[in-house]
Amino acid sequence: MYLFWLRAALVFSGIASLAVLPGAFQGSDRWRRFLVPLCIAGVGCNFIGLTQMLSRAGHWVPTSIEETTASFALLLALTFLGLYLRYRAISLGLFALPLVFLLLLPAAVGVDPARHAYEPLRNGWILIHIAFVLTAYAALVLSIVSSLLYLIQERRLKTKQIGGVFSHLPPLETIDQISFRMLVIGFPCMTIGLLAGALIAQQTVGAGYFLDPKVLLSIAMWLLYVWMLYVRGHSGLRGRRAAYLTSLVFLAALTVWVANQFSSVHRFAAP
Amino acid sequence: MSVILAGVNHKTAPIELRERLAIAAGQMEHVTRTLLTVPDVQEAMVLSTCNRVEFLTFQPNGAADLAAFAAEYFAIDPQEVAPHVYVYRAEDAVRHLFRVAASLDSLVVGEPQILGQVKEAWTISRSAGAINSHLDPLLQRAFMVARKVRAQTSIGVSSVSIASVAVDLARKIFGDLAGKTVLLTGAGKMGELAAKSLMHQGATRILFCNRTQSRAEALAERFRCAHGAGTGGQMAVSQAVAWDALHRHAAEADIVVTCTGAGEPIFTPAHARTYAARRKHRPIFFIDIAVPRDVDPDVNRIEGVFVYNIDDLQAVAAGNLAGREKEAQQAEAIIAAEVDRYSRWVRGAHAKESIVSLTQNLEDMRQHEMRRAAPRLASLSAAQRDAVEQMTRALVHKLQHGPIQALKRAAREGDLEALAAIEQMFSHGTSPGGTMPLDDEGEND
Repeated sequence: MYLFWLRAALVFSGIASLAVLPGAFQGSDRWRRFLVPLCIAGVGCNFIGLTQMLSRAGHWVPTSIEETTASFALLLALTFLGLYLRYRAISLGLFALPLVFLLLLPAAVGVDPARHAYEPLRNGWILIHIAFVLTAYAALVLSIVSSLLYLIQERRLKTKQIGGVFSHLPPLETIDQISFRMLVIGFPCMTIGLLAGALIAQQTVGAGYFLDPKVLLSIAMWLLYVWMLYVRGHSGLRGRRAAYLTSLVFLAALTVWVANQFSSVHRFAAP
Repeated sequence: MSVILAGVNHKTAPIELRERLAIAAGQMEHVTRTLLTVPDVQEAMVLSTCNRVEFLTFQPNGAADLAAFAAEYFAIDPQEVAPHVYVYRAEDAVRHLFRVAASLDSLVVGEPQILGQVKEAWTISRSAGAINSHLDPLLQRAFMVARKVRAQTSIGVSSVSIASVAVDLARKIFGDLAGKTVLLTGAGKMGELAAKSLMHQGATRILFCNRTQSRAEALAERFRCAHGAGTGGQMAVSQAVAWDALHRHAAEADIVVTCTGAGEPIFTPAHARTYAARRKHRPIFFIDIAVPRDVDPDVNRIEGVFVYNIDDLQAVAAGNLAGREKEAQQAEAIIAAEVDRYSRWVRGAHAKESIVSLTQNLEDMRQHEMRRAAPRLASLSAAQRDAVEQMTRALVHKLQHGPIQALKRAAREGDLEALAAIEQMFSHGTSPGGTMPLDDEGEND
């Protein structure tokens, strides 16, 4: 049954990805009106499907690629929805909604949710770890999307090309505000997620976890995040350089995620 | 009709050239007087705005080269100016003048300032004694046409003004203007309107900076009285600042509206870099409506600093003109009818002058012949002499009837060749003039 809900979520996010186009490029209010219900429907279906999938797998922590991407899609869609309702920044959906669609694909095509049966996955700390880290990732993605929109809008204003397909982009300061707020929201999420992860590793692996490549990369990424926030907050860095910095942190976060392959600590499959 | 108009405007010349041709207010009379010294220029008016520099002249023979005059006066290579200059003659010149006065040729179609600027140019030319019987009725007519276009079309109502364009752009940068600071340098009307619009959109602090401190203070006081409260009842702060402190206050401003007559940039890239650093790279928006420009174009290269000059605003304004073609067509139809009417009047005035001249010439000839025949008529009685007098008068009347009718017909039909031929036959040698009734009902300006 979970497949039905995930596929419904996929369809809703696909339609929302198309509905965002006239809204963002032509400022069409008609399509804009459909966007929120479509997103809400997609988020609802995604939530039900994910819950059923995890329930069937016998754990509440998303661990497989399918579970992780479906969870990430849920958080990304929710964050976009929140930003849209707050700032009416429909252009963010140009990037965020197709990404939600792509993230839902692996789960919606069908998986075997029961293949990861590992006792520690029932641990609440892991749920906190994954939920917060994924939220931080979602915030980082939207921050990068905002930085990209900032660069487009800045270029249009600099070159005085005001019309065209991007004429309905949000104001420059709003985009900058979204980008920075996403970073600020993402940071505590990332910190809590990493702390929860560290606690779990301490319990399961012992003090040696600290030397694990994934853990070391996570610390480096966190420090990079702190430095980026300091630079942006202190010097008011905006535009191209701010976009590069955010991308750097996101790249570091992706590297940390990829480092699962080399980590002995970060393995959720049954031994 | 020997009205000749030459000039450059925002459509034909880049701002770099227009700012080299720009004429400061204090220089206008001198340019006008100098123009009058050009051979064949009998009357002249000089119009210089942000968007155009034009010379309106009356030349009996149409021999003066106005482009060459402009190049020589402003010490610019004639080859550099020539490709950008337009020259209109006779009806085309009248049409162009009417379109300019009615704001159909403006960067922002329908904006109201241009009529005031044409009137100002007319006043200066009149005081310089450069406008007489030919250009004066033409300009009076242009003012009336401008008012008619404004009254009979909604072109002015839906005017996309520089001010509204500035507000739109500011919104694209800042979104909500609430809490924003605006700095207005100079005291141009257009800058004042832009500042006023920005305040209406929520800007809460406006700073006025002028080389003449008292003007800045007067402006600040006027804004305080007129716009004390912004949108939502928020109190707006209006304050005059010293010219010496311009760059300190510019760093505080989110939007700088500048329209001084400085003649050279007062905001350079070095200044802008300082502002950006002091503002922690928060965006700053320069609206430069001065010609010559107040803001160095390189300032726009600095990250977070956006500069829009008068030409840049054109593109934005043009994008906002959709749906106003109908008003523009109505306005053009009014202009076409008025040009035709004016031309008929000029031809009519010309014919009237010719008729008076012709009648006078024939009467002179009759009296001359009567004087010559007087010794031979001395033997006639008074009654007989009176009969001869009556007979010669009747003869002259009959002789002039044909040519007068031909003149009237030629004027009515606009047959300029026939008019010239009849005039030449009787060689009256005077030019038309007079006061044109301003419309069918005799409306006056």
